[in-house]
Amino acid sequence: MIKYIIQRIIAAFFTFLVIVVVVFFVIHSMPGDIIDLSSKIDPTVREVILDKYHLNDPLIVQFGYTMADYLHFDFGYSLKIRPGVPVLQVVLERLPITIQLNYFAALLILPVGLILGIIMAIKKDTVFDHISSSLVILLISVPSFVLAALMQYFLAYKLGWFPIILEAEESLTWSKFYSMLLPILALSFGSIASIARTLRAELAEVLTMDFMLLAKAKGLSFRQTIWRHALRNSCVPLASTFLYLFLGVLSSSLVIEQIFSVPGLSKTMLSAINGKDHWLTMGIVIFYVFIGLFMAILADLSYGIVDPRIRMGGKKDE
Amino acid sequence: MNNTNVYLENGEPLGPDILGMTAEELSLVQREESISDAAFKTESISYGKDVWRRFRRSKVTVVSAVIILLIMLMGIIGPYLSPHDYLTQRLDLKNLPPRIPGIENLGILDGTRVLTIQENSLEDYEGCVVENLGSYEVSSAFGTGTMLRIKVDMYKYNGVADEYYWFGTDDLGRDLFSRLWQGTRVSLILAFAVVAVNLTIGLVVGAICGYYGGWVDLIIQRLMDIVWNIPSMPLTILLIMLLGSGILPLMLVFCLTGWMGTANGVRMQFYRYKNREYVLASRTMGSSDVRTMGRHILPNAIGTIITQSALAIPNVVFQEAGLSYLGLGVQAPNPSIGVMLSDGQKALLEFPYMIVPPSIVLVLLMLAFNLMGNGLRDAFNPSIRQ
Repeated sequence: MIKYIIQRIIAAFFTFLVIVVVVFFVIHSMPGDIIDLSSKIDPTVREVILDKYHLNDPLIVQFGYTMADYLHFDFGYSLKIRPGVPVLQVVLERLPITIQLNYFAALLILPVGLILGIIMAIKKDTVFDHISSSLVILLISVPSFVLAALMQYFLAYKLGWFPIILEAEESLTWSKFYSMLLPILALSFGSIASIARTLRAELAEVLTMDFMLLAKAKGLSFRQTIWRHALRNSCVPLASTFLYLFLGVLSSSLVIEQIFSVPGLSKTMLSAINGKDHWLTMGIVIFYVFIGLFMAILADLSYGIVDPRIRMGGKKDE
Repeated sequence: MNNTNVYLENGEPLGPDILGMTAEELSLVQREESISDAAFKTESISYGKDVWRRFRRSKVTVVSAVIILLIMLMGIIGPYLSPHDYLTQRLDLKNLPPRIPGIENLGILDGTRVLTIQENSLEDYEGCVVENLGSYEVSSAFGTGTMLRIKVDMYKYNGVADEYYWFGTDDLGRDLFSRLWQGTRVSLILAFAVVAVNLTIGLVVGAICGYYGGWVDLIIQRLMDIVWNIPSMPLTILLIMLLGSGILPLMLVFCLTGWMGTANGVRMQFYRYKNREYVLASRTMGSSDVRTMGRHILPNAIGTIITQSALAIPNVVFQEAGLSYLGLGVQAPNPSIGVMLSDGQKALLEFPYMIVPPSIVLVLLMLAFNLMGNGLRDAFNPSIRQ
């Protein structure tokens, strides 16, 4: 087990390195000048800036400098989006709102998705099941930005129940939470639908198995058979989904951020790419790559914990 | 016929006294007849026929297939049905609400909008007001004024009372009906092209990995791991900024990681079947690698592959919609379902009718392809063969 984890970490590290190299060269091969203040700027100042960031050197030398800085956990400074602010600080500043939104969404998704899935499986082929199944497919079929826009139109604009965009207030106050409700709902619907759909399929299959009959025969109540026997078995395919819900809080949805004017990380990345703020772009992409690789390892390990029958590090073949 | 001698099992000739009959009276039956199994009275059913039969049996699947075919048909002929084409801009006719002949008499889709205007500007709308919905007082720094809410026939107001834009026009005065179906065409072409490329690459790579295994497999798997772990959103944005938006860059974006699902599926199938006895038998008889793969191993995976592809098509349309919303989709004058949706979303507060038709088409496509995919999965599953 330990050996397997170490293997995975080493493999992930090399993947990380290769991705950083690829991303660096893709970003720096984008057309356009990094410093396009051309007309207003004094040529000597321009030279100083170019020298400071080693922009006159060939790309491969620039790459060497950047990597050397990264080794000291120095991710450089934002040039245009937040001039002069260290990249690390920009990333850390954008995170709280993303984490808040995602945690509240997860707190909504988990109980609603689970309960909906369980009820749909127990009441399979009844009117309730048919109606919720259609609703679930509908929620999966509509892109989140359409759903979010419709909610914004009807709930916020027409009915005036919620604020149209997120409040700019920094700290988490009651009225800020109130304005976060719509983005939270918009983030939740898709996940609720997919959890409910998977759980319904899995649970409906488990319910027909022999050990469920055994559990019933030895006198367990219906509630006990569901909670202790059926649910645990049907949650195996969902384990990684649950894990992503709570670890994925750091990743943000660009579309939702655009619609509700959330000052999140994805939006910053989009403007960083558009503004050719290369250090900021690199910093955010590296952050995402790191989170992604970390979660992939954790998700793999979680399978072994949820389902003891899956052996870690076993050969895949056969 | 019965002249031949008849012998008992121990070799003695059959005596004349047996059963009190002479040898002449005995006759052998079925000597000249050829005996074979009776031919089946029923028609034999091949795997393909069986799949087709099960596919047809599920009503939901058939309805989904019909819906898909209808939408594809509209994608082909739709842009030519309307008298207005999808590119002509008429800035004097921008943001017209939908108006459909026949239905307009029912009071819906009749090209009217409810406007709130100042009382003294009522004469601008002379002759176009369909209904007066009341007035209210507003007081501001400039004194009090009366605001009127009126229902205006926008077509008459713009001087085109005899024209019909079935789904209305957008902010450049282009016909939304033609644009919708042109967009459907673009989206579907993109989706089918992406799925075709992914399928080809996935099949070839998966087959090579699974069949040959060893270090080839190891290297390709490592490479796939790397590409797979690059965060897709930044990479997509970077690639589109680098190559410009359009169908080809979009295809590249979708194909970059899209083939890996197919490749993994095919690889697993090859691992499972390559050491079976019947595969060994065919190799012993001298069939080449390609023939072994194509004729003996691949057919096992064909059901899963087709099902996966059916499910992948709406996904591409869906993701393209997301990218279009961020302004990274199909290039400007060309519509796609995603472009239509994001245009509609931007004008949602003022002109809510714009987002409805593309939403309906997208939802129908997603639903139909998903339901048909499920139907295909059941149809291809030999374990429920009847």
